[in-house]
Amino acid sequence: MGDLRLEGLALGYGPEAVVRDLTLSVADGEMMSLLGPSGAGKTTILRAVAGFIRPRAGRVLIDGRPVDDLPPERRAVVMVFQKALLFPFLDVAGNIGFGLKMQGLDPGEIRRRVDAIMDLTGLAGLGRRKVHEISGGQQQRAALARALVLQPAVLLLDEPLSSLDANLRQQMREFIQQIQAETRVTTLFVTHDQGEALMMSHRVSLLLGGRLRQTGTPRQLFYRPADPDVARFFGGENFFDGRMENGLLKTAFGDFPAPDTENNGRRPLATIRPEDVRLAPEAGNGSVMGEVTQTRFEGMATRIWIRCDGGLVVALTPESRWTAGQRLAVVFPPDKVRVFPA
Amino acid sequence: MTRWRPKALAAGIILSVAVPFLPLVLWSLSERWFFPGLWPQQWGLRAWQHLLDAAGGQIASGLAHSTALAAATAAVSLVVGVPAGRALGLYAFRGKALAVLLVVLPLIVPPLSVAMGLHLWFIRLGLAETFAGVVLVHLTVCLPYTVFVMWGVFANYDPDFEAQARCLGASALAVAWRVTLPLVWPGILVAGLFSFLLSWSQYLSTLIIGGGRVLTLPILLFALMGSGDRPVAAAVSLVFVAPALLVLLVSARHLGRGGLMGVR
Repeated sequence: MGDLRLEGLALGYGPEAVVRDLTLSVADGEMMSLLGPSGAGKTTILRAVAGFIRPRAGRVLIDGRPVDDLPPERRAVVMVFQKALLFPFLDVAGNIGFGLKMQGLDPGEIRRRVDAIMDLTGLAGLGRRKVHEISGGQQQRAALARALVLQPAVLLLDEPLSSLDANLRQQMREFIQQIQAETRVTTLFVTHDQGEALMMSHRVSLLLGGRLRQTGTPRQLFYRPADPDVARFFGGENFFDGRMENGLLKTAFGDFPAPDTENNGRRPLATIRPEDVRLAPEAGNGSVMGEVTQTRFEGMATRIWIRCDGGLVVALTPESRWTAGQRLAVVFPPDKVRVFPA
Repeated sequence: MTRWRPKALAAGIILSVAVPFLPLVLWSLSERWFFPGLWPQQWGLRAWQHLLDAAGGQIASGLAHSTALAAATAAVSLVVGVPAGRALGLYAFRGKALAVLLVVLPLIVPPLSVAMGLHLWFIRLGLAETFAGVVLVHLTVCLPYTVFVMWGVFANYDPDFEAQARCLGASALAVAWRVTLPLVWPGILVAGLFSFLLSWSQYLSTLIIGGGRVLTLPILLFALMGSGDRPVAAAVSLVFVAPALLVLLVSARHLGRGGLMGVR
C-alpha cells in the first residue's frame, strides 16, 4: 500500500525529451490510467517509476519518500509488462514465487503465499504446469499474480491486455478491476485504449505529445475536456467558436452559457459530442437548418455529416433513416455544449 | 507419413554416422590386412595392447593435454564470446560493423597464415611453446564461432525478462545467475561444445605454436599415422573420437529436452 507522486519529471533517451514537466499523483489504493496514443511516452514514464530510466529532471516519490537513488529491485514497485514474460525455465508456481524467493523467504512460507495468490487469481491447481502449457489469459494472470504476491506499494501495468484477443481482453479488464478492488493496491495502468481507461479506472490522466493534458475522473475527461485536443482524443469532432457576451457564448448554432469564461469580446472555442447533437426533420426552437452530405452506418449508430451555415457538423444517431441530400434541423442542447476556457 | 519412415530415417542416419567408423574398428583389431582381402587376414589385439602398454603413457598424457586445452579454450571463448554476442545482438553502437569484421577476420584469413604470423609475435612475447600460447591460437578459430552463436541467441532474446526480474526484487547479480544464464543456457552449451570440439581437433596451429612441446592427441595421431602402423593409428583415432562423441551425446540429450521455449 502506498501512494505515488511524480514531480516535474522530464524523461528522454536522445537529445529530445520524450516527456516534459510531468506532475502526477496516484492516491493510496487508487487505480489511475495513463492514457495516450502510441509513442506518447507512457511506457517511458512507467520505466522511470520502476527505476529503469533515470529522469533528467524531477523526482519520483513513493509514500512521500524520493526513490530516485534506489535501483529497481529496492523500490516497492512491480511492473507487469505487455508480454507476460514468464520465465520458461520455471513452472507456474516457481514464476509466481520468484520475487518471494529473491526476498529469501523460506520455502513453506513461499508455498503458502503462492497458493493464496493463485486462488485469488483463479490459477489454483496450475502450479506444476510449465508456462507454455497454460493459455494466454492464464499466462497474463500468472504475470499479475507474480507481481501481486509481493504486495507492492505501487503496481505498474504496461498495456498488459494488448496481446490478448478481444473476448479475453474484456474478461481480463473485469478481472483486473476486481482484483484491484480486492487488494486495494495502488495501480498505474498504461493504455492507448480510451474505452479501457474510462471503464477500468478511478481517474484517468491523458498524455498527448509528452505532456499531461488533463487528469480527472473518466466522466470529467469525457464530458468536460480541458482543451480541444483532449476532446478530439475522445472522439470530439464538432468545434465552433463565438463571441462572449454577458456570460453567454453567441455562436452560429445558438447561444450557450459559459460559466468558466467571462471575458467579453474574446472568441473562445466550444464543442459538442457527435452523439449529443439532436436531429429533427423540421425547424424548431433553437435549431439550425442543414443538409446531409454523407452518412456512414457503424452498427449501433450512424454517423452523419451535415453542412450548416455555421460549418460542418458531425452527428452520431441511432436512427438510420437519414440520407445524403436531405435537409434537416440540427439542435445543440445547451447543457451538452462544452465551452473551453479561453 | 507412414509408420516405418521415421524409423528408416533414424536407421539411415545412424548407419551413415556409424559406417565410416567400421574400417577404423576393423583396422584396430587386425594383425594383418592386405589387398585384396575384404576382411583382415589375421585378427588380434596388438594395437590396443600397444596403446595400453608401450604408448599408454603417451596417449594418456595426450588425452590429458587435449582435454585441458579444449576445456580452457572453451571456457575463455565463452567468457569473452558471451558478452560480445550480447553486445552485438542487443545493442546498436558506434563501430559495430568494424567489430563484426574483426571477429570474422580470423575465419577469412587461412589458419596457416594466422598461426605463422602469430608464431613470430608469440616468440617475442614468450608465448610460443606454452599452454597459454596454444590456447590463444585456438581462440582465433573458436572465438568467432562462439560470438556468432551467442549473437544469434541474443538477437532473439528479450531483455525485458531481466527488467521484469529486477522489479521483482532480484539484484543485477541474481538476474545474471537466475534469469539470463538459464535463458541463454542452450546457446552457451552449443557454443561451448563447438569451441571444445574445434580446439580438440586442431592440429596445424598446435604444431606451429606448440612447437612439439604441447603434445595433444592429434599431434600424436599424425605421428603414428606417419609411422605407417595402421592398426595403432586406427586405435588412436578411436580414442580420439570417443570423448567428442560422448560429449555430443550427453549434450544432445540435454538440448533435446524441450521446455526451453520462452513465453513472451
